[in-house]
Amino acid sequence: MKRFLAIAAAMLMGAVVQGHSQSLDELNVQIHGYATQGFLYTTNNNIFTTKSSDGSPSWDEGVLNISAQPAQKLRVAVQGRYFVLGNFGNKITVDYAMADFKANDHFGVRFGKVKTPSGLFNETQDIDPSYIWALLPQSIYPISSRNSLLSHFGGVAYGSFVLAHKLGKIEYRGFAGQRTLSSDDGYFVNQTEAGILLPNGTHQNMFGGAIHWKTPLPGLMIGLSNIKNLKGSDTVTAGNGAISGTQSINTFNLPNYFAQYEKGKYMFAAEWTRIPVGGSLALPPVITQPIHLDLRSWYVMGSYKLTDKFSTGLYHGESFDRKATLGAARYSKDWAVAARYDFSQFIYAKAEQHFIDGTSIGYDTNLNTGGLKPTTKMTVLKMGVNF
Amino acid sequence: MKKILVTILFVASASCCTRHASAQAIIVNPSVKATEASKAELREIFSGAASSLKDGSHVTPVLQKGGAAHEAFLTSIVGKADAAFRVSWRSLVFSGQAVMPKNLDTDAAVVEYVAHTPGAIGYVAKDSGHDGVKVLAVH
Repeated sequence: MKRFLAIAAAMLMGAVVQGHSQSLDELNVQIHGYATQGFLYTTNNNIFTTKSSDGSPSWDEGVLNISAQPAQKLRVAVQGRYFVLGNFGNKITVDYAMADFKANDHFGVRFGKVKTPSGLFNETQDIDPSYIWALLPQSIYPISSRNSLLSHFGGVAYGSFVLAHKLGKIEYRGFAGQRTLSSDDGYFVNQTEAGILLPNGTHQNMFGGAIHWKTPLPGLMIGLSNIKNLKGSDTVTAGNGAISGTQSINTFNLPNYFAQYEKGKYMFAAEWTRIPVGGSLALPPVITQPIHLDLRSWYVMGSYKLTDKFSTGLYHGESFDRKATLGAARYSKDWAVAARYDFSQFIYAKAEQHFIDGTSIGYDTNLNTGGLKPTTKMTVLKMGVNF
Repeated sequence: MKKILVTILFVASASCCTRHASAQAIIVNPSVKATEASKAELREIFSGAASSLKDGSHVTPVLQKGGAAHEAFLTSIVGKADAAFRVSWRSLVFSGQAVMPKNLDTDAAVVEYVAHTPGAIGYVAKDSGHDGVKVLAVH
């Protein structure tokens, strides 16, 4: 109840300010934010640790962004988030807190906790007001891991160059630092429910880069990115802390290839990625087992703006683990049909219908004690306000 | 007679197109060295993808909240509807890549702001006053 009141208050505040985001001229300070309330219903299985088969409103979010530009080339910004989805979140986290120095269009740097510019949508996957979708394709942007994958401690260098001979423009990003997957991250949910905990989460040192080529064809961007996650190990416990051990993950690359085309009222995009993870889980003398997965994931999507206020879209995403045993738990395929209506510049509603085949994404054990059915239909409704 | 009709139609359509293409003027603070800009450059500047013109002049965009000049600008330069335009700016703000440009109510307010802010670039109706600002030629 307290949570609903908080979200209602945030929405009310957003509606009241009606976009008059407070711009403190002398300090160049701006305050922006958004809040959303989601609802999930599934025909089979409970998803995202919610009791969605009964219909669940346990999906709230509130974001506050404060930025300042004390000098022409210098910006500082911090963004905080309250997020709850079933048993995930229910706490305030910092998306980023950084200083940005942009020397010119060719070169700039950010330091602090910064958004990780990998893939097509990683930097923006949390910005609900930006999308027609209530849920981005879960094959590549799982919402239960979003807070972990969104940003890292370290830096980003960025810039752009116009290519000669009218060949378009290249935007580049290079980044390095440490990414933390929190102990309640979605990747660990089944492990956690089995009593094997990562009390401090995992800490991955990594570096990478991204190239976006804005081609000579207006609206067409082709890109690629790669993150090299370096070998690391983290403490793992079992038996309520009685047993302690180590989870080690070997060095691996995380490549993304993507393209996006926008023209008038149309938008099309596609992306492919691979997550090949190897390592070991050691809880001597009880458990010593290898970790190996090789996820191949992709999606294609398209949207069309029917009117200034009403948009529709469709996507299909797939993910499968080549190292897993055959069966519905090895893969996930998802068709999604989406619609969004903007009541005003500041208030919107979304509706989405998913047709999910396979059980590799989004499900936990504790809320599906009777086992998982191989297919599920999921209805998603969402209201949002931003200022 | 046929020739005259064709000529009239040609002149009328040319006049119509000319009026649409120059419905708004792009104005900059006099500190900006550039005297001209391409539509592609302006699209990059006003979408937050670039912060300088081809000649190296650093510019900071200022927007209008609505109105005829704003609509004409979005149609002829940006190529996006107002809602999509503002959504793309919000994405930049919430992803930490930019601050929201100043939004002003009227042509007069834009002219006043641009005239007194080094590096500022904005758009106003062509027939509005341009005191204290420089008008860029758009090609």
